Amino acid sequence: MSTALDTTADRPAATGDALVEVRGLKVHFPIKRGVIFDKTVGYVYAVDGVDLQINSGETYGLVGESGCGKSTLGRALLQLEQPTEGTVVFDGTDLSTLKGEALRRKRKDMQMVFQDPLSSLDPRQTVEALLLEGMQAHGLTKDKAAAGARLRELLTAVGLPVAALKKYPHEFSGGQRQRIGIARALSVDPKLIVADEPVSALDVSVQAQVINLLESLQEQFGLTYLVVAHDLAVVRHISDRIGVMYLGALVEEADADDLYAEPLHPYTRALMSAVPVPDPVVEDKRERIILAGDLPSPANPPSGCRFHTRCPWRQPTRCDDERPELRVIDIPGATATHRVACHFAEQIRSGELQPHEVEATATDPNAVESDEHGPSAPASAVEI
Amino acid sequence: MSTQTTDIRPAPRADGDALLAVRDLTVEFGARKDPFRAVDGVSFDVRPGQIVGLVGESGCGKSVTSLAIMGLLPKRGNRISGSAVFEGTDLISLSDKQMRDRRGRDVAMIFQDPLSSLNPVIPLGIQVTEVMERHRGLKRKQAMPEARDLLEKVGIPDPNRRLKDYPHQLSGGMRQRALIAMALACQPRLLIADEPTTALDVTIQAQILTLLTDLVRDSGTALIMITHDLGVVAGMCDEVNVLYAGRIVERAARHDLFADPRHPYTYGLLGSIPRLDSPRGQRLNPVPGSVADNLPWTSACAFAPRCSQPIAQCREQSPELVETDPGLDGPRLLRCFNPITKETS
Repeated sequence: MSTALDTTADRPAATGDALVEVRGLKVHFPIKRGVIFDKTVGYVYAVDGVDLQINSGETYGLVGESGCGKSTLGRALLQLEQPTEGTVVFDGTDLSTLKGEALRRKRKDMQMVFQDPLSSLDPRQTVEALLLEGMQAHGLTKDKAAAGARLRELLTAVGLPVAALKKYPHEFSGGQRQRIGIARALSVDPKLIVADEPVSALDVSVQAQVINLLESLQEQFGLTYLVVAHDLAVVRHISDRIGVMYLGALVEEADADDLYAEPLHPYTRALMSAVPVPDPVVEDKRERIILAGDLPSPANPPSGCRFHTRCPWRQPTRCDDERPELRVIDIPGATATHRVACHFAEQIRSGELQPHEVEATATDPNAVESDEHGPSAPASAVEI
Repeated sequence: MSTQTTDIRPAPRADGDALLAVRDLTVEFGARKDPFRAVDGVSFDVRPGQIVGLVGESGCGKSVTSLAIMGLLPKRGNRISGSAVFEGTDLISLSDKQMRDRRGRDVAMIFQDPLSSLNPVIPLGIQVTEVMERHRGLKRKQAMPEARDLLEKVGIPDPNRRLKDYPHQLSGGMRQRALIAMALACQPRLLIADEPTTALDVTIQAQILTLLTDLVRDSGTALIMITHDLGVVAGMCDEVNVLYAGRIVERAARHDLFADPRHPYTYGLLGSIPRLDSPRGQRLNPVPGSVADNLPWTSACAFAPRCSQPIAQCREQSPELVETDPGLDGPRLLRCFNPITKETS
């Protein structure tokens, strides 16, 4: 693999002070059974102990496969899901202490862009009504003329004609709808935007337009982004720092260039080697790490290191028993911002440990209680 | 380019060798007065053992092409013309009954969404053996061991247990493997895979693509790979057809296409994709506009309004798909008045 280049020049430099600080965040969803009595038979450990920090002005990319808890983490950060444990400090305020009106007011500073642009826009509202609703809720429309000017400014910023104000969402293409969604998030002048899979519903050519738009808006308005996506290439392109999630926890966190130049966690390596590159020359030469089996169920996560059931570098006993913490490892070239949750990251990097075959285990997606089947696949159609 | 391909099979060139020859395939939907042409005169060949890619964005007609070949488009409400000659028989002109005898035996298909392609109330084993019972006259009891072997071959752990499982008990990747097992049950000579990995995670996608490539290489089955992901194409297809608004705009061997894209649309698509191995901090070069800006093919180049280098002719005349200077690995066809050259790119 080629080395990373220092080409972060045209990005706004992160000011360094933390806008968001997440400490020990856990979101567990109860699994209920029973008709008369709502008996809780288990929990889906969607997010299970995440620490992270997002500095103002930067883009933090959260990447992982379906069911790893990345979307839940993004939503919990905005208090759209009630965290089971842990704190989210946003701009100096612990969000868990806020309730009702105070929390509602705080939402002016933190907005969200959703994956599916059509289902996140009310089909019966015109674009004008859609954009004004949030502004009204935060008392930004007292001056009618200023609000009107603001609307036009918003539309220009996201590259839509002013005539779009009188139209309804169905009259737009997918890319344009996503632009409306972004304009809506921008309308209340937020500090943080959480974008949950902002481009995955779009065609490739339109996807690139929206990525470029997100980047120029960041420069223009000094926004901070948390981008949640499954596409590592997109996340790497847009983010300054990246967290890789696996089964509810971060397994690696690094600057985008470092992560690509030197992926330390076995899962990150496998993920990177699996992303297809549109270049046959590269594709023919690449070594793929093909992971055996499927993602275990977050309702019944494996003991110890969550990845040990699929890890080609798994070592006896320690990986099965002891859950690794995110740590900075002491190797030449690794920066202090590069953290990895693997017991054997040093040995894997130095080549002391070699990958071995992994037997794919039979999985049962409906297992709730811990049983002898070990890992199980994610329950069908539940995107966590 | 000096890189070697992983392709070790001799690639016959003559048209007579084609396993499937699609000629001038056109599919129209809607009223006769104001029809919508989803596929507009598509022609291509698939030779035995070859992997042919059909690439394009949503609405370009790639899936409709495959459904037409498989005879899976409803008889009402659309008009299909042209031919798809498979081993001397035109599949388009076959009756429903004749097609049923071939589908699954000679030509099989893998769909995008594995859950909705499997019957939710029938155990997997019965669904896999069904195709063997239908085409090879086997009894279910005889077919079961073979189904077990098939599931094992496509990498499903504990196949004996899985034969009795229902589709909802399998993960997405397992379901797609099961579909591949069903498609391979009668050793078809042509397999059509319509976005087989789009619904899957990347690590699972890598598993499935490796599996498909291995199965095809081992058995000599020809594969039509339909996808929107140029990365997938780069990894496995021998020849790539790029579709735009129902027509093929460029065809080349995969090394030629990616090293030297000549059509502005192909070039634009490649520039739109953030690459994992490219330096960061560079802006993407998206294709501007959307398919809503398209012109009708009948009187112009449909892509002209979004093109990076249109000339006056593009809006007045419809370009033909013509053979241009061949690439290093094979011939190249191009539908463009003002193609990208080394200088303009």
